[in-house]
Amino acid sequence: MDPFQNRRWVIILIMLGVGLIFIFRLLFIQVINKDWSNRAAQISSTIKNIQPPRGFIYDRNQKLLVGAEQAYDIMILPKDIKEKDSLIICQLFNMSIEVLRGKINEACSGYNVSYKASVFYESLTKSEYAKIAPSIGQISGLYGSIKTQRGYPHPIAAHALGYIRKISKKQYEKAKKTNQNVYSRNDYLGITGLEKIYELELRGKRGNENFLKDYAGNKVEIIEKKPAEPGKDLFTTLDLDLQLLGEELMKNKLGCVVAIEPSSGEILSMVSAPSFDPALFSGRDFPAQYEILLHNDSLKPLLNRPVYNDKYRPGSIFKLVHALIALQEGVLQPSTGFICDKNIIGCHNHEPPSNLVTAIKHSCNPYFYQVYKRIILRGKNKNYFEDSRLGLANWEEKAKNFGFGEILGVDIPEEKKGFLPNVDFYDDWYGKKRWAFSTIYSNSIGEGEIGVSPLQMANLAAIIANRGYYFTPHLVKQVGDKKINSKFIQKHTTKIDSIFFIPVVDAMEQVVLNGTASRAQLDSVSICGKTGTVENKNFNDHSVFISFAPKHNPKIAIAVYVEYGTWGGTWAAPIASVMIDKYLNRELSEKSLKKKERIMEAVILNKNSDFTF
Amino acid sequence: MARRISIWKYIDKYLLILFLLLLVGGYLTIYSSSFDGLNETGSFWSTSSGKQLIWVIISLLIGSIVLLVEGSFIHNSSYIVYVIVLLLLVGVLFMPAIKGAKSWFQFGSFSIQPSEFAKLSCSLAFARYLSSINVKFQDFRTRIKVISILIFPAILIVLQPDPGTMLVFISFVFVMYREGLSGNILLIGLLAIIIAVIGIFLKASETNFDLLGSSISGNMFFGFILLLISVLSFLIIKFFVLPRYRKEKFYRLAIVTVIGIVISLGVNHVYDNLFKDRHRNRFQIMFGIKEDRTGDGYNIYQALSAIGSGEGTGKGYLQGTLSNDKYKHVPEQSTDFIFCSWAEEWGFLGGLLFIIVYIATLIRIVMLAERQRSKFTRIFGYCVASVLFFHFMINIGMVTGLAPVIGIPLPFFSKGGSAVLTFSLLIFILLRLDAERKVVLR
Repeated sequence: MDPFQNRRWVIILIMLGVGLIFIFRLLFIQVINKDWSNRAAQISSTIKNIQPPRGFIYDRNQKLLVGAEQAYDIMILPKDIKEKDSLIICQLFNMSIEVLRGKINEACSGYNVSYKASVFYESLTKSEYAKIAPSIGQISGLYGSIKTQRGYPHPIAAHALGYIRKISKKQYEKAKKTNQNVYSRNDYLGITGLEKIYELELRGKRGNENFLKDYAGNKVEIIEKKPAEPGKDLFTTLDLDLQLLGEELMKNKLGCVVAIEPSSGEILSMVSAPSFDPALFSGRDFPAQYEILLHNDSLKPLLNRPVYNDKYRPGSIFKLVHALIALQEGVLQPSTGFICDKNIIGCHNHEPPSNLVTAIKHSCNPYFYQVYKRIILRGKNKNYFEDSRLGLANWEEKAKNFGFGEILGVDIPEEKKGFLPNVDFYDDWYGKKRWAFSTIYSNSIGEGEIGVSPLQMANLAAIIANRGYYFTPHLVKQVGDKKINSKFIQKHTTKIDSIFFIPVVDAMEQVVLNGTASRAQLDSVSICGKTGTVENKNFNDHSVFISFAPKHNPKIAIAVYVEYGTWGGTWAAPIASVMIDKYLNRELSEKSLKKKERIMEAVILNKNSDFTF
Repeated sequence: MARRISIWKYIDKYLLILFLLLLVGGYLTIYSSSFDGLNETGSFWSTSSGKQLIWVIISLLIGSIVLLVEGSFIHNSSYIVYVIVLLLLVGVLFMPAIKGAKSWFQFGSFSIQPSEFAKLSCSLAFARYLSSINVKFQDFRTRIKVISILIFPAILIVLQPDPGTMLVFISFVFVMYREGLSGNILLIGLLAIIIAVIGIFLKASETNFDLLGSSISGNMFFGFILLLISVLSFLIIKFFVLPRYRKEKFYRLAIVTVIGIVISLGVNHVYDNLFKDRHRNRFQIMFGIKEDRTGDGYNIYQALSAIGSGEGTGKGYLQGTLSNDKYKHVPEQSTDFIFCSWAEEWGFLGGLLFIIVYIATLIRIVMLAERQRSKFTRIFGYCVASVLFFHFMINIGMVTGLAPVIGIPLPFFSKGGSAVLTFSLLIFILLRLDAERKVVLR
């Protein structure tokens, strides 16, 4: 008998024991502990966001204002970076070794890990990338990745269009709380202008894709896909050619041009000078460029002057408002004449203002002193102070109908409402019954405390062009296939009868024909305009001009404000006329080309701006 | 001479069915793990699963022939087979290296790995020698001879180098145990492994203990404990054991103590001086001290993820998303890590079934071995059981993270022609020998 045959049981027991251990191990890995299963999901599948393409922005003739362009991000895979390449990398990207170290550290920390690629250098243009691509190919751990970013065929209308920028940490956290899951960490969003106002429409809806990948991260099979909803296109009211011309004309100047189609309130052009290239913000240099523009430039190019600067005094163009109110109130007849008494208020030499037309034509200051006096002092109260209060309150109410002192409601952010000095204001300033007409008469010539934004000035031109009403000025007429907001087709009336506009419009025609704005004349079309010369204590006066054309059935109303441009007729009027010529005739006449040349040669800058914001 | 028998009448149906289950399950898993989801344009037979199928068919054909061969012929040709394989092992060293090892004879797109055949040839030679009349395992000279049968192929395999396959020769310890090797040696071996594992663990985890105010390394502390235990044992023996047995016990205690201390301190030395960072990392990962997804821990992390993702019932055949050629998240998914593919697609239930079938096969082999009148067949049967068991234990232990990563195939599952042929022949030869159990007495 075999003495060791019972040892078989030991061996069988060992086998059973090992089998049991494995069974419990499998039970633990597969059934009890879900960690490994979760890790497997992490290894084998990825949820990737699909970014919707941002909507394009077109001008009124379907010409592209903002589109897309290809750019290249340089990606870094830190685990593959070789020490020996560091010098080449530094040379390629013109950075010091410390900066490079910092960037590599950054690519391994936070949300990044060393075996996943992250962005090393952002937004190289095609030509920039072409230059370094061969060298990049030699460096392990660096490669180019193509992407689409905002593209600007022309560097124009930066203020109206606005710009987009990578979402900041703060904005991201905020967005996460309010509208869930709209933004991801590397998204761009509109910061100013139309990009901000129409952000939700432009950005579309993010999609995502859950796919299985192989060991190298290649997509093998899509499990689930939710396509992105592309952003809607914006069809603006801007006229690309007109905008281009406006920006050219306003080069080396401070100020604004705002052109409106009176019959619809559509803004044809909106120039804020000086301007900047919106493309600067869509690329890698954003923070640096932003700093320079914002802080180091005393000319404040980021300021959207047409809507934001409401501290512009309107000057003589406001005489039109006084005239219209006075006519409607019945305190003035078109035939009324006053003496041009320079003792009351300063004026220049001109023919006697024997009627309203002549007075407007020469912008006679004493005449409008009298007109404003008639509006304010109505004899409704025996007390001179009290009468002034009543009169001012009435005037303020009437002036508000022209859209002054209130927000018009244009569809870009940061619009300011301007200022109409009223009873409360003077009560605060001087005290009750401590002020009267004699204190506030400088309002009569648009000086004093009145503040008007250039948009409101252009709107005034549109009101007169329409003979009494306006539509809220706006920049967008169609979003995707949805027509505009109904508030933009609502007529706002000034409550001034159209009959009263006849002498005013006639006078404005005269202003251009043989008045203060003869430089605005065009052979082809009759322009109606009014100059303004806004007094300035420390430097040259500001040059203002509002106009519309043609006289009958006007197509364009325009306001031009050239800071420190001296006379209204010197710069603002010719700029307006060139713009009008362009818009109505598409080609500039020889006369306009000459004007344009003269305007473009002029450099009118004042680094010590009066306006503080 | 034995008289002719009808093989179908006497063949062990249980083992045959278990074997076929493993063979078919293994082939299906190979097919799935090398499935890349593409519509093959070329011939199926040139794909890796096609080649494997050829090997399976070859194995079945040769196996069927073996079933028809007389047991005495097998017995008589044992040494010849041993010598032929030994010559092949020498010859393979002159072949060009593939993946850094000179392990293969290459014939066109087929290759042969003689180290696999060594498992068969050694089993035959081992059984033949031990079953010879006048040979008793208790003799010291017998032991030396038995070990030298194993040591020559082992050395040749190490020269390739293929340390994983070499380790398989350790499995013959089980056979030796059955044939009379002292159980104490097995126990001492087990004890040595336990001490080594604890030592490495303490070393890898860099554990420190406070002893009388001064901090000492965990390993020193462990050595100290071992010493304390042996002193305690010494006292126990001194006071509780009868004097006539004491001497023997003291002798054993001394050996165990010396081995324990030597291993414990040896681990210290090996870990600090001989191990490379790679090895240290592997142990740290195995003990769960460190998680490493990318470097040395990558294989096991991916393997465990794949197995874990099978959950209760698996993803379904060909539905794996980690361990096949389409995704390749698990390295060596068709060879050493093929169990991941099985466990991912069939889940815990599949894993359970696999282990039950495997253990059942092993136990059945042991039962067959034990019912032999022929010593040769019994020893050979134990060789088969031991070799298969060792592969199973190390391979499954490795992929489930219980054993260090050693390149050892899973019999019938891992891809490899020589392997499937060898393991099939082990079974077929046993089946043939078993069928003759009532006929012959050798």
